[in-house]
Amino acid sequence: MLWLLFLANLKMVFRNRQALLWALFFPLVFVVVFGVFRFDRPTPVNMAVVDHAGDEVSQQLLQGLQTIESLKLDTKRSEEEARRALADGDIGYVLVIPAGLAQGVGGAGAVTLTLLVDEAQGPQNQMVRSIVERFIDSMNLAVQGGQRLLGMEMQGVNARRVGYFDFLLPGFIGMGVMNYAIIGMATVIALYRQQKILKRIRATPLRVTTFFSAQVLAYLVLSLVQAAIILMAGLFLFDAKVYGNILWLFPLVILANLTFLNLGFIAGSIARSVEAASGLGNVVAIPMMFFSGVFFPTDTLPTALRVVVQYLPLTPLLDALRGVMLEARPLWEFPVALGLLGAWVVVSGVLAVRIFRFD
Amino acid sequence: MAKPVGDRWAQTSLEAAQPIILVEALTKRFGALAAVDGVSFEVRRGEVFGILGPNGAGKTTALECIEGLQRPTSGRTLVLGIDTAKEPERAKERIGVQLQASSYFEHLTLVEILELFGRMYLRRIAPKELLAKVGLSDKARSTVTKLSGGQKQRFSIAATLVNDPELVFLDEPTTGLDPQARRNLWELITALHREGRTVVLTTHYMEEAQELCQRVAIMDRGRIVALDTPTRLIHRLPVPYLVRLLTSTPLPPDQLERLEAVRSVQAGNDGYCLLASSDASKTLPALLMWLNGRGATVEHLEVITATLEDVFLALTGKQLRD
Repeated sequence: MLWLLFLANLKMVFRNRQALLWALFFPLVFVVVFGVFRFDRPTPVNMAVVDHAGDEVSQQLLQGLQTIESLKLDTKRSEEEARRALADGDIGYVLVIPAGLAQGVGGAGAVTLTLLVDEAQGPQNQMVRSIVERFIDSMNLAVQGGQRLLGMEMQGVNARRVGYFDFLLPGFIGMGVMNYAIIGMATVIALYRQQKILKRIRATPLRVTTFFSAQVLAYLVLSLVQAAIILMAGLFLFDAKVYGNILWLFPLVILANLTFLNLGFIAGSIARSVEAASGLGNVVAIPMMFFSGVFFPTDTLPTALRVVVQYLPLTPLLDALRGVMLEARPLWEFPVALGLLGAWVVVSGVLAVRIFRFD
Repeated sequence: MAKPVGDRWAQTSLEAAQPIILVEALTKRFGALAAVDGVSFEVRRGEVFGILGPNGAGKTTALECIEGLQRPTSGRTLVLGIDTAKEPERAKERIGVQLQASSYFEHLTLVEILELFGRMYLRRIAPKELLAKVGLSDKARSTVTKLSGGQKQRFSIAATLVNDPELVFLDEPTTGLDPQARRNLWELITALHREGRTVVLTTHYMEEAQELCQRVAIMDRGRIVALDTPTRLIHRLPVPYLVRLLTSTPLPPDQLERLEAVRSVQAGNDGYCLLASSDASKTLPALLMWLNGRGATVEHLEVITATLEDVFLALTGKQLRD
């Protein structure tokens, strides 16, 4: 029975051309707009400095580096953290100061600093390299009258460069799935109630839970198709980069979509008409679309807002999506996001059951 | 397709002798409002039973309590011997329910919808046969949105028949339809009756109740104000007949008033005489004899029988439809 109902629901979902158009059209427009215009944000030259020496010479060095305006220094990371941040594309450069700098400078021969760079950033690397080298030369000059005490070598690292479009693509997948699930489910429930289809089904021996399960399954299938299409548009039309295993994306989409479908179900139960259901669905979906980090990382939000936003269901979905797609981490490395998504499924599910009415 | 009535729904003789629906002191309250207020009646096996009343009389609420779709505040509803408040699921297997103005899935064809509804009863059905029965064979591949009002209602009856129910509930099946579509639906309901099904329908068209129903319950403000066959309900009126008469020469009203069973005489338009009669079978012979004796030529004579509309007016003091 469930199977047949599921197939019937699938037919209905895919025959509803108008709704289907919106399910794909809306996120794809964003993919195209951002893909064509490439709003890549100009990144300041972020450089992490790892100071293994921690002596008076290295202190001088750091102070000197801080006076260079085109460099934004970060001295708080360990070497390991700094290397990972570079690999993930969070920072552009790492400068490693070896241990025993003061003794080395006092002794014979030059002490070598290491500049780690992302090999993909050729032209910028040359610029940064010359900035650092010029600085080191001036240090040498000041300290010992031109004798080379300090040297520098450049080491290339294969970093995952994450452009703005790559950052956006998981956002568009989450946004597309969320919008269609919330608004689609809300309008369908309101429509079924308005047209007394729910009541008519209640006049048969079929259990209502079976009816809704079949519907949810059909919507989940659609969300996977939707996610796959948005992903492929980004990958093949606009050359987006995905570093992780894209298969992780699908269980995530399903987990989050259960919550979105529940939210749509609740909106459809509260609203008195189909139009009201669509409006209410938008009231739920649009703030998440703007605040949960579809377009900008939530770090850029004011603290008070960020505290609230991190608990919205779209936020952990996007965090986990970007984690698996851009940082190439496996799904289980996101227990907080998964926990939040799971909690949302339970809470919204209980609420949906309690708030539901036939007429 | 039609099997002999009797073993079609495998009734025991005991079951067959009992009323198919038994309603006892059914009350349904919504806050302070009693939508159904202590209603009791029986429906007999094989009859077409009508619940007649104006909008808001409580017809739909009563029906939905009986069907097990709403929980009564108090009272008992037995359908096929099953208490529908306690075991609605068991009753649903055996009844067919058409809701007032309900629709079906927009994106499925008629055949697909019927198959789906059949599966809800765990049955494999022959959708084409059902569609043929309601005269929609040529619409098998259409969607509901492409049907006219009358076709929608007929399709909705086809959907109530997917489990071959012995008892069919139709809530205002012809409301809003044009006369032709209404006739078609009446034929369909008569066909259901002939197959041996029991039909319970609500309506606010008195001619519909009169045409289709063996018995009619008249409802007003949540109560049943009368229940009987349409004919007997009409005959209960003090003056169920009106004789309209036009003669070549004017007649003295005081003499007409003295004819048997005549209650009053009024002058109508264009020289017509209107005689209100309690029994047309007595008034007519007397009138004809009297006219014959006077040598008056009858130019027009007709007997208008009261309708359920008049019965409703007499019982409640208001019109059935406003």
